Amino acid sequence: MTALADDRLARFARQLLVPGFGELAQLRLQEARVRAVGAGGAASAALVYLVQAGVGRLWLDDAEPVAPADATGWLFHPDTVGMPRAEVARMALSSLSRFTDVARYPTGGVPTAALVAAPSVVQALSAAEVARRAGIPHVVLEPDAEGGSVVTVPPRAPCYSCARSTGGAERPPVAASAALAALAAAELVQLIASPGAIPGRRIEIVRGVATAQPTSRLAGCACGVDPRSGPAQSAGQKP
Amino acid sequence: MSAPRATLDLRPFACPLTYVKARIALDRLAPGEVLELWLSAGEPAESLPRSAEEDGHRVVGVEPLAGGERAFRVLVEKGTPRSAEELP
Repeated sequence: MTALADDRLARFARQLLVPGFGELAQLRLQEARVRAVGAGGAASAALVYLVQAGVGRLWLDDAEPVAPADATGWLFHPDTVGMPRAEVARMALSSLSRFTDVARYPTGGVPTAALVAAPSVVQALSAAEVARRAGIPHVVLEPDAEGGSVVTVPPRAPCYSCARSTGGAERPPVAASAALAALAAAELVQLIASPGAIPGRRIEIVRGVATAQPTSRLAGCACGVDPRSGPAQSAGQKP
Repeated sequence: MSAPRATLDLRPFACPLTYVKARIALDRLAPGEVLELWLSAGEPAESLPRSAEEDGHRVVGVEPLAGGERAFRVLVEKGTPRSAEELP
């Protein structure tokens, strides 16, 4: 990795001064290729955060059109309802920074991290499993009526299937959604910038109050075996 | 005090770039090694030593820069930077 150019230093100066962050962390972000599964209103704040943090490539994986509910998010003007969501988001995000290459998810693309804000639990489970099998860090958003949860999954940590909420999910108010999405992006930035710095964990926001707890592995889950190098590191188990 | 391991002329830069460049240079040093900084008088020379101390480094010298007009030579000894968990 080469040193950061002066224009990047100037752009990311405040972030570079965060304790525990630094040049190497920023370079890791610059080299990252993030697949965003779901680019709707619930993910908007996270996508903005990732671009402003300096992620090198952001790939938007979303085949749906902009829905009326998306227009309450940060990326979609009401006039864009009905247009391809990934393309509208790409244009909006591209205008925020010249340091991030924002594109639709390319066929065969190999991401180094993933943000999962899928519209359904099934899609979230599927996207998270793809990321787990690829051995890349990923974060899953679970919005609900009171705020929601963020599930952080570093490589070899208990998988999203083990750690996900089993409660019902409803779409939250927009303000809570933005807070949750920004938190998810902050978690992903840490996973990319400082590998090993944070464990697998689940952060719940209930009426504005956040609590974090480590995730644990369901007995017998396949995530206990690393697909590439054998058994995963020890992790708490639950029956 | 050991001789400076590196020297950085930060006079052309303003906050926060002054401290960003200084911190990156400090990151490349080992604890106990000294970084020599040239800073413009005023805000840079006042705030950078304070920021360095807050980050766990030690300011071991501040003096007018020889031949420099309204500038200072600041010597910072690298300490053990604080992690995010150690923040107040």
